[in-house]
Amino acid sequence: MNLVVFFVVAVVAVASALALVLRRNPIHGALFLVVNLGCVAVLYLLLSAEFLALAQVIIYAGAIMVLFVFAIMVLIPGKEETGPDPLRPQRLLALPLGAVLLLEIALILKSSVFQAAQPVAPPPALPAGAGGIETVGRLLLRDYLFPFEVTSVLLLAALVGVLALAKRKAG
Amino acid sequence: MSNTVWLIPLFPLLGTLLNALFGRWIGRHAHWIAVPALACSFLLSGAVFLRVWNGETFRGDLFPWIEAGTFRTAVTAQVDPLAAVMLLVVTGVGFLIHLYSAGYMHGDPGYARYFTYLNLFVFSMVMLVLAGNFLVLYVFWEAVGLCSYLLIGFWYTRKSAADAGKKAFIVNRVGDFGFGLGVMALWVALGTLDYGTVFDEVETLSPETATVIALLLFMGACGKSAQLPLHTWLPDAMEGPTPVSALIHAATMVTAGVYMVARTHALFERSGVALDVVAWVGGLTALFAATIGLAQTDIKRVLAYSTISQLGYMFAGVGVGAYAAGIFHLVTHAFFKALLFLGAGSVIHAQGGEQDLRKMGGLAPRMVLTTITFLVGAAGLAGLPPFAGFFSKDEILASTYHRGRLWLWALLLLGAFLTAVYIFRVVLLAFFGGPRMSKEVAHHLHESPPVMTLPLGALALLTAVAGVAVGMPSTQGTAFARFLSPVFPLSEEVGHGGLSAYALLVLSVIVAVVGLLFAWLLYGSRPIKVEAIGRPRNRLHALLLNKYYVDELYGFLFVRPLLRVAGFCARVFDLGFIDGIVNGLGQLVVGWARSMRRLQTGYVMNYALMTLLGAVVIVGFLLSR
Amino acid sequence: MDAALIPLLPLLVVGGTALLVIVLDLLPPRDRKGHLGVVALAGVVMALLVSLGLWGREGRAFRGMVVLDNFALFLDVVICYAAALVLLLSTDYLRRNDGERGEYYILVLLSTLGMVLMAAAADLIVIFLALELMSLSLYVLAGFFRGRLAAAEASMKYFLLGAFATGFFIYGIALIYGATGSTALDRIAAATRAGTRDPLLLVGLGLLLVGFGFKISSVPFHMWVPDVYEGAPTSVTAFIATGSKAAGFAALLRVLLSTFKVSQPDWTVLLWVVAVLTMTVGNVVAIAQSNLKRMLAYSSVAHVGYMLIGVVAGGALGAGSVLFYLLVYTFTTAGAFGVILLLERGRREAVDLDDYAGLAGRHPVLALTLALFLLSLIGMPPTAGFAGKFYLFGAAVRSGYIWLAVIAVLNSAVAAYYYLRVVVYMYMRDTEGLPTGPAPSFAGRLALAIALWGIFQLGLLPAPVLDLAQAAVAPLLR
Repeated sequence: MNLVVFFVVAVVAVASALALVLRRNPIHGALFLVVNLGCVAVLYLLLSAEFLALAQVIIYAGAIMVLFVFAIMVLIPGKEETGPDPLRPQRLLALPLGAVLLLEIALILKSSVFQAAQPVAPPPALPAGAGGIETVGRLLLRDYLFPFEVTSVLLLAALVGVLALAKRKAG
Repeated sequence: MSNTVWLIPLFPLLGTLLNALFGRWIGRHAHWIAVPALACSFLLSGAVFLRVWNGETFRGDLFPWIEAGTFRTAVTAQVDPLAAVMLLVVTGVGFLIHLYSAGYMHGDPGYARYFTYLNLFVFSMVMLVLAGNFLVLYVFWEAVGLCSYLLIGFWYTRKSAADAGKKAFIVNRVGDFGFGLGVMALWVALGTLDYGTVFDEVETLSPETATVIALLLFMGACGKSAQLPLHTWLPDAMEGPTPVSALIHAATMVTAGVYMVARTHALFERSGVALDVVAWVGGLTALFAATIGLAQTDIKRVLAYSTISQLGYMFAGVGVGAYAAGIFHLVTHAFFKALLFLGAGSVIHAQGGEQDLRKMGGLAPRMVLTTITFLVGAAGLAGLPPFAGFFSKDEILASTYHRGRLWLWALLLLGAFLTAVYIFRVVLLAFFGGPRMSKEVAHHLHESPPVMTLPLGALALLTAVAGVAVGMPSTQGTAFARFLSPVFPLSEEVGHGGLSAYALLVLSVIVAVVGLLFAWLLYGSRPIKVEAIGRPRNRLHALLLNKYYVDELYGFLFVRPLLRVAGFCARVFDLGFIDGIVNGLGQLVVGWARSMRRLQTGYVMNYALMTLLGAVVIVGFLLSR
Repeated sequence: MDAALIPLLPLLVVGGTALLVIVLDLLPPRDRKGHLGVVALAGVVMALLVSLGLWGREGRAFRGMVVLDNFALFLDVVICYAAALVLLLSTDYLRRNDGERGEYYILVLLSTLGMVLMAAAADLIVIFLALELMSLSLYVLAGFFRGRLAAAEASMKYFLLGAFATGFFIYGIALIYGATGSTALDRIAAATRAGTRDPLLLVGLGLLLVGFGFKISSVPFHMWVPDVYEGAPTSVTAFIATGSKAAGFAALLRVLLSTFKVSQPDWTVLLWVVAVLTMTVGNVVAIAQSNLKRMLAYSSVAHVGYMLIGVVAGGALGAGSVLFYLLVYTFTTAGAFGVILLLERGRREAVDLDDYAGLAGRHPVLALTLALFLLSLIGMPPTAGFAGKFYLFGAAVRSGYIWLAVIAVLNSAVAAYYYLRVVVYMYMRDTEGLPTGPAPSFAGRLALAIALWGIFQLGLLPAPVLDLAQAAVAPLLR
């Protein structure tokens, strides 16, 4: 059952990602991104990371994408990008390069995970509720307290930065 | 003691920094920084001297300096009796001249710059004296040369001053080239540059090696101390402000060569030949410069040649192995020559910048203090008892005589006679006889302010008493030599009692007095006409007046051929050959640069593609390993 | 103070100052913010002193995520010097360009905080967060002059490419986590030592190198450099060139030397190639530039190449030379950008080579100062640049990388061409450049004086500082 769901979702995820890149209409692109993010959330669920899946849906698929769509609608008047693509030659390079990188990653996974003599880090059996909000909270505020706090400073910097760029001149 | 020692150079360095950084605001108050800095250094030098007197010595590293492979050098200082004496002279005379400068340079637009350089000079000179290894010595040897260059060209808008600065720098470069080679040769031969180790291991050198090294080092000394054949820069250096001439080109920097030879005497003794060379170069220079001094008409140039000549005496003393006598003459010379220069400065100042002896005369009644102190200085230089120069010069003469260098002794004795003649010629022409200056200048004649006469008085006092105080000959040598005995062991024949010594003494006095009388006969006994001074009367006089045509000779022998070769190289070799290759290569690179530049399109996506490319290559590379 | 917090002390000082400046920014006066610069400077100087005072102490905090060792402290000093010089140069510059706002100082401090944290981070997660903290602040600072198109472009490019590179970086962290089950540097090191050569781990390292390569701007991840350096406010350019580079090298050295010691043969070959490419491309393209900021941008790329030589050479000498060179480079580059900044008049930036024609006649002191910094960049004795290059190339020779040293020396010769061209323009051309402006402010002069002091102090007496730098890398090599 899990495997079936995985494959269906994975195919949708890849397809939506491709569509995002290939469509020239930005609104369509944004909507495909929503689909993609939703698929990834399902993948998280399959890995029993409930909290992560939830956060993915609320923050990315929800808040951030709404912002994207707003921004696109406000900033880009027409339906499609206008004018010819100045970077057409680049695609000729980008495609093979991307393909090579994909190949390389596939090679690594093949040699490392499936062919290794012994599993590098044997996956421990997950306790109940491992991906739940409680476990995540415990980890965040105990083992990863310091990164958690640094993140708050990072957000502060982002806040100040937005102010700096957006604030009207005083007086 | 270590802290005190490091403070001595620190104060002038601080003074330099303050005046350099804030000179614009300090401006005409610069002396309030520079002079107290020197006073502090002087007091500390006094304290250090007292402790050395009590038998202490000091040696220490300030910090490790260069460490490259097996080559390790630290900034090392060492204080022994020789260094202590030099410290006192440098900071003491330096202090008096700083004080004097506050009056002499008053109102100059470059006032703060002047004191910056002067402090920097004292700092470098103190470090030169303190140096505990050859590398530090070399660095500050160059540093004092730099200060000298800066100060000679202080009034750089005057072409003659700028040229003189350049000349001093270039001539010194010839000497320093040898000096640098000498230091390197020392490193190759012994693998160390530390004084102590070098002097301990000097016996392991073959005499030939020692000769090469010592002569190379002496080349540097010749340049710095203006000895034949590298003496030509010093008279031109008189373009600098007079206190600078007094401090750098009479009392301290030019004596660095003597100090260096005395400091490294172990090396010169190992060679033997080198020591003879030093003695003869010194003796010849002493006579040579004295003859030129006879004919010059510029008061400062006379003093400059006199300095060259007296430095020759010091080298002669050091060269015959009478190191203490050489250093003693260095000290007394610092007193009376600084005094003479400052006195000359006072005269020049009073006459609004006039340096020509032909336009002076009869200054004595208007400038009593200057006249008296100048007379003291002249007596010191001429070697009249009981002034300091008498004792120190006689020490050198006696040493050469007793060590059997009769020819050298004769040269020096003749030089002593000429010395008395030329210095009293200056005295008579400048201070006595009828005034020859214009009415206007005569009207403005005035004695200098106390800030200038005070140093004159102090130096006159030192000239008067230094000889009697520490230079009285005795069976154990002079008190001065006994103080230096840890550095220069008292030699065998020092106890030169007996008739011969007294005869020599009397002979010295007679020579000096005869010289004085001769000068009076020529310039004092009857009124002289202006045109008569400095006009070539015969071939010999013309030769002297033109300084033996040495400058012209060098111009003919070196400068012009060099320019011609340089011109040839520039046109044919450089432009044609080297530039051809270089330009070709350059154009290749520039062309490459242009094409590479095209990659920089400005499109973010292109840049991102490059990043992707990099990532693919890196991952691929790591995968393949 | 709680002993557990001591490793965080430099961080706390910088971060606390940032918070203080945020609060002060809300208080009057509203139109003048110069005093915030003074507060920020005081904080940075304080952090500098704290770092110096902690020298020799070791400690860990927060489950070993933050370490205190001499390595972190040495880089703290470099970073604080960079930040202090930038702050000194900024106040007057902002006022002249009508951009004096409190956010500037806050962002500089937060970015400094990120850099200091990068030097002390011992966990890939923390390194990542510190990198982001530093970068985010710098993205905004690059576009701080909102009115200017070039500034907006610089900010945008920096942000987009930075985000792209960060993607690689965090993917690398994920792969390493996958291979070892940890993000803590010491545990990764333990895992690599025990296990066989795991391609997953290696590739993770490769992707980390992409991220670091972007931050330190090595070829081929340097493309953003000229555009960003040119468009950003000059004070920010100086900060990007000095501080962020030092922080990038800090994390790079710590990860490579202490964590991936086992894979040294692998990354050494890689970095050898990158070093050669970086210095060659940087120097060659710099020749074709007529804009001084762009020229210095490429020159800074080239200098990264020189520093990578030290990483390749490895060992106490190689890594120590890198730290030494970072300090040298900070003084020199901050000084050179400082002169450019002080020459700007109103909205007109003095960045074209022609603006510098005959500068020696109009601004003799500034011209001489710039000439000295350029000589240090060339590597002329007795400036610090010489000592720095000497140690780097010497380390390469001693580790047997003769060819690397030869290529580096050839590169230095090429570099002399474009640096000296500026000097020639300043001293030997008499055409009209920018009109003479008012004398630079006290703060600006002080910054230049400190930088000059630095290049001569390090140039004349390099040995003591090199000793400290070698002592600083000792904890990584244990």
